[in-house]
Amino acid sequence: MEITVNDESYTVDVEPEMPLLWVLRDELGITGPKYGCGIAQCGACTVHVNGYAVRSCQLAIGDLGDSKVSTIEGLGSPESLHIIQKTWIEHQVAQCGYCQSGQMMQAASLLSTNPDPSDDQIDAAMSGNLCRCGTYPRIRSAIKAAAKKIQGS
Amino acid sequence: MRYLRATFVFSVLMLSVAVMAANDKVEINPPLQGSVSPSQGLEAWSRIFEVASHPRCANCHTGPSDRPMWSGPSYGKTRVHGMNIQAGDSRIGAETILCSTCHTSKREDWDNANASNHAAPRVAMSWSLAPINAHWFGRTSQQICEQLRNPETNGNRDTLKLAEHLNHDLILHWAWTPGGNREPAPYSLQEHVNDILAWGVAGTPCPDD
Repeated sequence: MEITVNDESYTVDVEPEMPLLWVLRDELGITGPKYGCGIAQCGACTVHVNGYAVRSCQLAIGDLGDSKVSTIEGLGSPESLHIIQKTWIEHQVAQCGYCQSGQMMQAASLLSTNPDPSDDQIDAAMSGNLCRCGTYPRIRSAIKAAAKKIQGS
Repeated sequence: MRYLRATFVFSVLMLSVAVMAANDKVEINPPLQGSVSPSQGLEAWSRIFEVASHPRCANCHTGPSDRPMWSGPSYGKTRVHGMNIQAGDSRIGAETILCSTCHTSKREDWDNANASNHAAPRVAMSWSLAPINAHWFGRTSQQICEQLRNPETNGNRDTLKLAEHLNHDLILHWAWTPGGNREPAPYSLQEHVNDILAWGVAGTPCPDD
């Protein structure tokens, strides 16, 4: 089975029912997406499929087709951070960090379709991503800062 | 934003058409004209209402509200969909978080796709709320009946087209095979289609006519 992740092509020999998250972590060693609940209740496994946020624990590899996958590893690079990664650092969002790759992938997806979200829209978009450390206020601040940078650029 | 949303919706629709192939179809055989009395038509309607008002259907037929519901035997008390989900004007959550973020589209008809009790159900097309006009959650039999028989509020369909819609829309098929511990909609898809057709031949009677 062919799969494109972060602009690189891979061949994997797995059952079509295997969730994308398992393929990423166990077959390809791409461990940015995290396992939290396995039933789309926490958002820790969020990746992008064709640019849109998807819970990778809920998408079977056989259902992926030709769609392209991006993970936190492909969102930006140390030399050229994604705007969400920049504001995440500026606002020191992360605490333990376990949920943060999913949070950033969800936030990046929101800003790609809605570059100037209201507070309510941010809350609605991010409510499916849980954080046991309670970093929610900083998450919202970082998204608003990223939106401002987008508006100013 | 509007362009992005339109582009996304178009892409989703094209994907939906592409993945709809491998599912069971129902037989659409309307009874002969004049063969269904108004009282038989009302009996058919009462069964149709049982289906329309069942949580598997009504939870996403929330009318002006853009919040899907969680209700029914497997959910405990009736409540709005968890995670602060708002489907927006797009009805697919394009303004905030897409339904497809969790309700992913499956291409292959693998058996255990919806086996987990608490995971987001999946079908071979894109998840969405029903159109605003198709407001069923918490509505009376008469209100739903009048909405469904009026082409101005039912998507410009006669009952034959309603039956075909049931045949083609795979989210509707899911209502009878929801998986996990979710209670299926009553009767069967084929029986429901038969009732729609009989109700139509009887002249689409409603309880308070």
